[in-house]
Amino acid sequence: MKTKYIAAWILAAGLMAGCGDKFLTVNPETALSSNNFFTSESDFKQAVNATYEPFRQMYNERAWVLEEMHSDNTYYARNVLYGAVDPTENVADFAVPTANGITANDNVLVQYRLNYRIIARANQVLAKIDGVDFDAKSKANLKGQAQFLRAFAYFDLVRLFGKVPLHLVPATGRDDAPLPLASTDEIYAQIEKDAKDAIGGLYDKATQEAGRVTSGTARMLLANLYITQKKWGAAETLLKEIVTSGQYTLMPDYNDAFSYTSANKNNKESLFEIQYMEGSAGYNGNQIYRFIPSPITAAEIAPITGTANPQQTSQESNNIPTPDLIAAYEAGDKRKDISIGYVTLSGSAVENKTYPYIKKYARPHAIHQNTGQNWPVYRYAEVLLFLAEALNEGGKPGDAATYLNQVRTRAGLAATKAASQADLREAIFKERRVELAFENKRWFDLTRTGRVKEIIGAYGAKVKANPAAYYFPKGAVPPPNAFTVLDDYYGLPAVEAALTPHF
Amino acid sequence: MKLMNQFRQSPYYGRLNSILKLSVGQALIGAACGLSAVAGNSFHLNPLVVSTNIIADRTIKGKVTDDTGEKLPGVSVVLKGTTIGTVSDADGVYSINVPDRGGVLIFSSVGFLTQEVPLGAASTVDIKLATDAKALTEVVVVGYGSQLKKEITGAVQTVKSEELKDIPVSQVTQKLQGRLAGVQINQTTGKPGQGMAVRIRGQVSVTAGSDPLYVIDGFPITGTIGQMNPDEIEDITILKDAASTSLYGSRAANGVVLITTKRGTPGKMAVSFNAYAGIQKVPMRGRVKMLNAEEFAQFKKEMYEDENKTVPKAFENPSEYAGKNNDWYDALLRTAPIQSYNLTVSSNKENMRTSLVAGVFNQKGVVLNNNYKRYSLRMNTEYDLSSKIKIGFNLAPQFVYDNTPRTDGDRGTGVLFNALHTWPVMPIYDANGQLTKYNNFPQGTGNIFDYPNWVRAAKELTNETRINKLLGNAYVQYNPIKGLTLKSTLNVEQESNKFFFFNPSTATSAINTPVPTTAVSIRQNYQNFSWLNENLATYTHSFNEKHNFELLAGFTQQRFRQEFDRITANTYTDDRLPTIQGAINIDRGGSFNVNGISGSNTFNGANEWALMSYISRLTYNYKGKYLFTAAVRADGSSRFGSDNRWGTFPSASVGWVISDENFMQSIPKISFAKARASYGVIGNNNIGNYTQYALVNNTTNAVFGTTVATGAQVTSLSNSKLGWETTKQFDAGLDVGLFNDRIQLIYDFYSKRTTNLLYAVQVPQESGFSNYNDNIGEIKFWGHEVSLTSRNLVGKLKWTTNANISFNRNKVMELAPGIDRVYGTFHITQVGKPFGQFYGLVKQGFYMSKEELASSPIIPGRSAIGTIKFKDVNGDGVITNGGDADDRTIIGSPFPKFTYGLTNTFSYGGWDLSITGSGSQGNQLWVRHLYSTANLDGVFNMVAGAKDRFRVKNGVNPVTGAVEAQTVITPGKGMYGATNNGGNFTGVERDWNSSHFLANASYFTLKNITLGYNLGGIKSFFKSARVYASVQQVYVFTKYWGGPNPETSAQGDGQGDGGNLSQGVDLSNYPVPRTWTLGVNLNF
Repeated sequence: MKTKYIAAWILAAGLMAGCGDKFLTVNPETALSSNNFFTSESDFKQAVNATYEPFRQMYNERAWVLEEMHSDNTYYARNVLYGAVDPTENVADFAVPTANGITANDNVLVQYRLNYRIIARANQVLAKIDGVDFDAKSKANLKGQAQFLRAFAYFDLVRLFGKVPLHLVPATGRDDAPLPLASTDEIYAQIEKDAKDAIGGLYDKATQEAGRVTSGTARMLLANLYITQKKWGAAETLLKEIVTSGQYTLMPDYNDAFSYTSANKNNKESLFEIQYMEGSAGYNGNQIYRFIPSPITAAEIAPITGTANPQQTSQESNNIPTPDLIAAYEAGDKRKDISIGYVTLSGSAVENKTYPYIKKYARPHAIHQNTGQNWPVYRYAEVLLFLAEALNEGGKPGDAATYLNQVRTRAGLAATKAASQADLREAIFKERRVELAFENKRWFDLTRTGRVKEIIGAYGAKVKANPAAYYFPKGAVPPPNAFTVLDDYYGLPAVEAALTPHF
Repeated sequence: MKLMNQFRQSPYYGRLNSILKLSVGQALIGAACGLSAVAGNSFHLNPLVVSTNIIADRTIKGKVTDDTGEKLPGVSVVLKGTTIGTVSDADGVYSINVPDRGGVLIFSSVGFLTQEVPLGAASTVDIKLATDAKALTEVVVVGYGSQLKKEITGAVQTVKSEELKDIPVSQVTQKLQGRLAGVQINQTTGKPGQGMAVRIRGQVSVTAGSDPLYVIDGFPITGTIGQMNPDEIEDITILKDAASTSLYGSRAANGVVLITTKRGTPGKMAVSFNAYAGIQKVPMRGRVKMLNAEEFAQFKKEMYEDENKTVPKAFENPSEYAGKNNDWYDALLRTAPIQSYNLTVSSNKENMRTSLVAGVFNQKGVVLNNNYKRYSLRMNTEYDLSSKIKIGFNLAPQFVYDNTPRTDGDRGTGVLFNALHTWPVMPIYDANGQLTKYNNFPQGTGNIFDYPNWVRAAKELTNETRINKLLGNAYVQYNPIKGLTLKSTLNVEQESNKFFFFNPSTATSAINTPVPTTAVSIRQNYQNFSWLNENLATYTHSFNEKHNFELLAGFTQQRFRQEFDRITANTYTDDRLPTIQGAINIDRGGSFNVNGISGSNTFNGANEWALMSYISRLTYNYKGKYLFTAAVRADGSSRFGSDNRWGTFPSASVGWVISDENFMQSIPKISFAKARASYGVIGNNNIGNYTQYALVNNTTNAVFGTTVATGAQVTSLSNSKLGWETTKQFDAGLDVGLFNDRIQLIYDFYSKRTTNLLYAVQVPQESGFSNYNDNIGEIKFWGHEVSLTSRNLVGKLKWTTNANISFNRNKVMELAPGIDRVYGTFHITQVGKPFGQFYGLVKQGFYMSKEELASSPIIPGRSAIGTIKFKDVNGDGVITNGGDADDRTIIGSPFPKFTYGLTNTFSYGGWDLSITGSGSQGNQLWVRHLYSTANLDGVFNMVAGAKDRFRVKNGVNPVTGAVEAQTVITPGKGMYGATNNGGNFTGVERDWNSSHFLANASYFTLKNITLGYNLGGIKSFFKSARVYASVQQVYVFTKYWGGPNPETSAQGDGQGDGGNLSQGVDLSNYPVPRTWTLGVNLNF
């Protein structure tokens, strides 16, 4: 009797122990895992969408620091009430502390990581998309976007750093997370390959959903690469394809080339824009708030932002147009007043209390610190200027002037007087500066033409000689190490260097 | 057999008998089966001789009672030096025949102090036996059973509820402060019901939790015990070494806290009522001393003057603020009441034992609008269905309501932190006596962080939590044959937690947010459900009354599920209707960090884990003198990678009761001595539920034109081999009793190594991932613990001292491959050094003169006369913060050199007095608010010490022509630098982490003083009554200057990183109040 009870108890306990593996397998309910993802067209579409996502942060926070304020186009205006913001000021001051090719600068780190976030997401798509069967055209278009985005990110990296690790397949663990630095040529070759593949697969602007990259965007990227590599003939061919495609044209008014917070996005002039959306959903930008000089009162900010709830801000004032840039606009250039406005700050420590600010991004919007206009990456105006440059460098200055003048005409300017190859080179260089001001082009124009030391050297001397003209309060001067680091490339980020054996 | 009788009447009987922890199975079964059936062979009979065959001359009669007057059956009464003896009967009455010449009677009983009474002429000798709380015959609850304290071979410490009864606090862990060797308990915040950090043996882990496992009546609960009514607790046992904890396997590495709740006590029905009421107040001493309004205005005036700038009108005449100070911190505080009522009913009828504890606790916080209430009930019942089968049910429902203003945290969240920073010239009340809405001094005065009214924030924000909890157990136990016990248990734990936050448009707790602001509501609910099934078999047997065995085997399964959801909404047209439908926006994107809740704004989800285990233990002793235990648990867990699902956790321990050896009998001063040693392997499975998987997040959305497109990305790398953290622990201990156990000493040394740390190994983000979850690295821990109990006086005046001291050390042996250090904002964890050390530059004072500036290492462009001077650690002539030429170094530690506790209890007649304190020595805190309260740019209110800052007058440099700090006005007192030259210069002192921010946080806190008086009984009303007065958090002896609570330690530094790697940051949390109470204990 007793034995029976004991046996039953043991049996019952034993039975419950039997179903171990099933009992112990608990799958996450509110997240998918990579085992059951990447199985359908919809999955790949979502994965491609996510590949675009890092751009929002990149162009809102960092790209303009490294690619525009790190030039003679913009500077920062110290708000003494806010204190020092070293990492950003160091970039503007050409004083990024760099040792052995490594820097601890935060802007460099974030820009680097955001680019690799794009690359890793593109790699996930590209590694798996061929293994899943769905509509060939759609697949080619998705694949093309992933290839473009990977190439675009590498193109940014190679121009910022020269050498970076080249990841082309997803990392699986600790061992393959760090890779050796690839040479500039290896990275260029990969960008060229990806961009060419992308041109083949991507829809054109007429077919593609607005805001996604197109075959035209991929041609522009590849042309940009060739221009950087001084492969003028190859660039000319691609740029002409864009011009003759008939899908792009200059907006009649320069002011309309840039989107408003809801209207005019991805217009006829646009080849690629970083997409933002105003509202509380979290897809907004706030660039203009990063650019407005401060301390600024609610009354002073209201006319600039046009919001219903203007609020004072007190922050470091960055990306303030330099007197040099303002002087670079020719008399009668319509673009000047569209691009640059002025504001007087009652609370400023600067003597005349008046600052220029980037007006072309100050579009009316509803909510304080919440803007929705897109950020221009490639515009048709740049296609024309690149084409002019490619033709001029290819020994066809006459043809070049035609394209340059298209841009000048819209700006209300007369045809260029430059005729020689050298004069035209300078004219195009200068036209790019004002046409593409604040579009993160200036730094790369300086590096690819080898003019950093020449131009920034002179600019630095002017800042030091007359700090008040560069928005320093009375008695304040640039730090002693300003304009001491005039290299073409940034150092690689220190935080990443600490994690990889390769640099 | 007689011993059984004694044991049955001891206070431990009821509890043991009802919970049946089984390892004393045989004896207990005996109790259950009736005394005649017992052969209590796992107990060791005292040399008690019963004899009546001597011719007697007279009869002595009497009654034996305990301290409380309760009759004591089964007490042995022996005439000293003879074999004459007897035992008291069921009414505690005895009768003994003794020779006419008299002698001395010895009264002894398990659990009571033995007493000798010389016989006089009287023929009636009534006697009261005192309880021996520390008796080595004590039975202690251990994992999956209980053991005679004498025979325990692990490092185990027990605290009885009687020792804790008068302390007026809401949480049991607060009561334990200072009581336990090797257990550091810090009250990191004064928020009622929150913030107790319990660390056993200095436990830390990089990412897995460090909280011990709490086991209530055998049920490992899934949360903390912060909300448990302390009055439900009978006793608490802390298991410290691996041998004691290994039966908890993969959850044991942080130590285990076993809680036993009250059971039906023997004797007839007992009813007791305990109540206290009191007031709480935050002492002035210890608060951060800030500038008052006049001093602040004076500071601002001097700041402008020193820089040769125009003084803003508001500060031209500081004396106009004299007597018009606004103490924002004080304005948030109040004197608040605290009350507690508990009714306990216990009965022990034939075949049924039951106990009921009903409690009401109501604490108003010392911060405005803080309110904490708890209603709790516990019913423990056990039935004997037959002599062999018993069943039991425990049920403990509980309701907690908590509304706490957003007190803790930094600028974004904490009103206390923000209050410190608010200019004292800003009025709290307007001319009409109404609370101001928003203080905006003109920007020209340096007011760039405009301040909302914090009193409004405290009063008008809702931040409430409602918790419904239910803990239940049901078990059946069957004793089929002698020595064998089978037991099956089903435990359930259910918790529903509703959080509601509403920030109306009229107030805000975030700095620099204008009012009216955007109204925001957050609703968060979560439901936890956990069940556990345990099936245990225990078999006890003895051979020749010498070899005593106990064998335990069992199988258990546990499953936990949590479901949660949160809805965040904003922009309300009417603050009176904070409903979801009343909001204009439901907040879907981005992330919030409100009240410590962060993540996306509106979401829902679920968490689940499963655990399946086999356990086994063998206990053997030879004559209770040579002791041996071996145990093993195998845990299968859903958290472990699919290729690494099962972990095995074995342990073994030995003990030797030296005092039982013959040779020790010659040293009568040593009444007890036991040496013990143990070794075992335990684990920590707090590695997250789905850590092994590569997850895909589908909220990484993109925008195209005016359309939002769903985006999905792989967010983590998978690791199918992921497992638990493994700790191997060695323990050696010595228990000594001297002078008939008047002095008892317990010493332990431990050494443990934790390997396979769960570590989100940082990988370079060029991979697209930030980390890889792996088991990697090693930390070594070691330490010494000493506990001392001394009954200094045992006469009419009784004085007992309990003291303990613990030394815990750790050292990081290995991190991830290629990584020898991990940085936090203020911390570094580095191989070869202790965990989470403070890291920064070394402050060496200030540059006193042009000459010193010229001849010392400086920060180019940022050093001037009167700015902070750091040590050039690498000797390169330049001070560098970060990078390759870094001058930062380890500058301090959040870990104490030792912690200690001291309790003294006195009693005299009806009076009793108890004094408890706890302390910590050699640790430091990072004074987080100093970043802003000593911001020399004068944008916040400042610490009072800023009056004595370095002052220097700006002038024109004759060589360069630049305006700069030139002539010293006063060098100040060496703590704060000069204001001149603005942010680029003052920012170094403020923003560069250095020893400037560190403060010595050693303390000794007089935690509690209680004075009680026993009124005795009043017939027909109550049996006994006691009244007492108590003061909690009496006084903090400390040199700490950063805030009122040197025990504080934010888990996180308010700057993004958190957890174990960054302990010891003072974020100006809710202060711990001093509490005065009056209480009463009535027994009916």
